[in-house]
This record gives sequence, C-alpha cells and structure tokens, in this order.
Amino acid sequence: MSWMGIILTFSLVDNVILSRLLGVSPGVCAPVDMRTARIVGLFTAVLMALANLAGWAVDSLVLSPLGFAFLRTPVFVLLVAGLAFGLHALARAAMPRLLDAAGISLPEIAVNCATIGVVLISTRAGFTASQSVVVGLSAGLGYFIVTALMTAIRERLDVEQTPEALRGFPLHLISAGLLAYAFMAFDRTFLLRLLGS
Amino acid sequence: MNASATRGGVTTYNGELALLMSLTPAIAVAVRVIDALWMAAGVVAVLLLSRACMSLIVRAGNPGTQKDASPPQGRFFSALIVSSVLTASFEILLMSADPEASASLGIYAPLIAVNFLVLSMTRAVDSGTSMGRELADALGRGIGFAACLILIAILREVLGAGTMTLFPVGQFSGVIAVPGLIDDPARALGLAGGGLICLGYLAALVRLARKRRLASGTAGESSKDGPR
Repeated sequence: MSWMGIILTFSLVDNVILSRLLGVSPGVCAPVDMRTARIVGLFTAVLMALANLAGWAVDSLVLSPLGFAFLRTPVFVLLVAGLAFGLHALARAAMPRLLDAAGISLPEIAVNCATIGVVLISTRAGFTASQSVVVGLSAGLGYFIVTALMTAIRERLDVEQTPEALRGFPLHLISAGLLAYAFMAFDRTFLLRLLGS
Repeated sequence: MNASATRGGVTTYNGELALLMSLTPAIAVAVRVIDALWMAAGVVAVLLLSRACMSLIVRAGNPGTQKDASPPQGRFFSALIVSSVLTASFEILLMSADPEASASLGIYAPLIAVNFLVLSMTRAVDSGTSMGRELADALGRGIGFAACLILIAILREVLGAGTMTLFPVGQFSGVIAVPGLIDDPARALGLAGGGLICLGYLAALVRLARKRRLASGTAGESSKDGPR
C-alpha cells in the first residue's frame, strides 16, 4: 500500500471511530468544546503513533520470533497504558494549565479500545516500522476529524428542541451513525485518483 | 441478598451510560447473532473471573481490614493485568473450540480486556463486600450487557440481512431465513452506522420506559395517599 493510500485509508476510509467503532464513547461524547477536542485529538494521534511503533518492535522482535504471539493482548494493553500515563505526565509537566482547564483525564481516554485496536490492526496487517508510525498518525488524524465534527454537531444539538428521551448520548450516537454513512462516500480508489497518486 | 444484587444489576444498570459505553466497541461484531453470543459469553466470563481474581488480590493485600490501602494507579494496572490475561485465555480457548468464531470476532475479542464494563467492575472491587455479593453484582451487569448486545444483533441481522445465524446442529445449518425480509432487507442496518443508530434508539427507548415507570410509580403512590 502506498503512503498516500495508508493515510487516506486510516484517516477517512477505514476511520477508527466511524468504520471500526473503536473509541466511540470518548470520541463522540467526551470533548465538551473544540479546544478540548483538539487536545484529545493531538494526544491520541501522538499516542497511536508511539504505541504502533512500540507494538511493532515488541511483536516483530520479541513475541513472534519466540513464539509468544498468544501474549499479544496483555503485552499491548500494558504497553499502551504505560505509554498513555508517561505521555500524560510529560504533557502535564509541559502545559499544566492547559490540561487542568480542559478538565479531562487523558490516560483514561487513551486506554480505550481505539489505541489498542489500531495497534492490533497494524500488527495483524504486517506493516513495517515506518508504516506503523504513519498508520498510527493517520488513525489519530481520523480520530481527531471525527471528534471535532461530533463536537461541532453536539454544540448545535444542545441548543435545539429535541425529544427528552433522545437528548444527550442517544442523539449523539444517532448523529454519529448518520456521519458514518456520510463517511462511506470516501472511497480509497476514488480519492487516490483524485489526488493523482 | 445475592439474588437481589443480580436482579438489580440486570434491571437498573441497563439504562446507565456505563453500559452504553461498554457496548460501543462490541456492537461492531453484533451483525450476526452467533457472533454476539460468543462476544457476550467472552465478556461475562472475563467479567466474572476478573472480579473474582481482583477480589482475592484486594483481600490478600488488606487482610483483616475493610479499608483498601492500594493507590488508584496500582489498582488500575492490577485490573488491566488481570483482565488482559483472562482475555488472552479466552482467545486461546475460542481459537481451539471454534476457529471460525475466533476469526469472526477478529480484533474485538482482545478488546474485551479494555471493555468499559469489565475494567470498571474489576477496579471497583471493595474489600468490605462479600465475594458472593461482588460476583452476583458482576453477573447481573454481565447479563444486562449480554441481553442488550444480543437484542441489537437480532435487530440488525433480521432487519439488515433477513436471516438469523445460530449454532449449526446436525442437519441444521444454523441459518434461519426470515420470510419477507430475506429478499429485500434494509442492508444499511448491517453497516457500522446502523449499529450506532440501533444503539442510540435502544438507549432512548430504555430511557422512555424508565421515565414512564417512574411516572406511574409516583401516580400510584399519590393515588394511594388519596385526597386529604
């Protein structure tokens, strides 16, 4: 797969939230405003890239050669959790006010299905180290796009008159479902031809 | 006491946000009923066993005291280790018992380890509560999760494909064709967007039913009091 193909696939065509249904709850419902959505999106993209690289290294250098592929789940889960906490500590040291103002717990957002799911997809597909990093960044970009779109939709929905039973999480899920149908318009072959790659 | 804890877990937990959060990755496989059954079995098994293991770990760490002294991050990583090791065991068992089901669940079987329900229940073990009550509570919530997941899978497969896929037994292939729907199903329901829309409407229906029950309960109480 070409570089552009990887970027388009993991950011738009095979979007981690709308196509794979990974990280739906934090992605669709957690960010309260666009600023928080940007922080969460950036954090997730960096974490996905690092986790994919680390996952590739552990899988291709340790687990698969030694015949311990059955240990992928616990190893990847702990790897992602450790990276999430480390990255959060770094981010907190670098910009404490920003994280406090956003009022979000980044490790809990990170240790959701999205990051671990992308690491599993990447290792099962047999990507190289550099491809794994690009897969992680692209999936993070796709995560950010959907989070930003859903935050904008939620801001409008919250001021609209809606039936009480649908208000909040149910309506956000239905909106995400309709957005998933809209994202089906992104066809990899069509986009690659459009970009001339 | 334990039976009431189980019943409470099944009925009251369904309407809560936590259940919806735990369902969102699982509905990706709820396109066929058989896959939803395997997923539900995996989540319930891992949930019960991880809660039992975590309960033993917490009790061993705090002998003779009801107060838990472990730090939150230590509890979080212990819960992750327990649930991921049990999930890996489930994956190995499923691979040897039914490789086709294992392939159908794909990356979603390993993700049971970080399922919101499993992780939150494993972390929430209290050394002051009896093991029986802990397990009954976990069983109730697991049944609630399984019921919702199977209901979504039935809706999506019947309306979206016009079939219902169960376990093959003898001459029975396991696939039941639904007359009237098999020729012209609403295929959009079988897609990822259909899963999200199904879950959204299910959450709204549960909320509506709960509101009506509360309203009828309040009306019943006020009619019992009578005019004064």
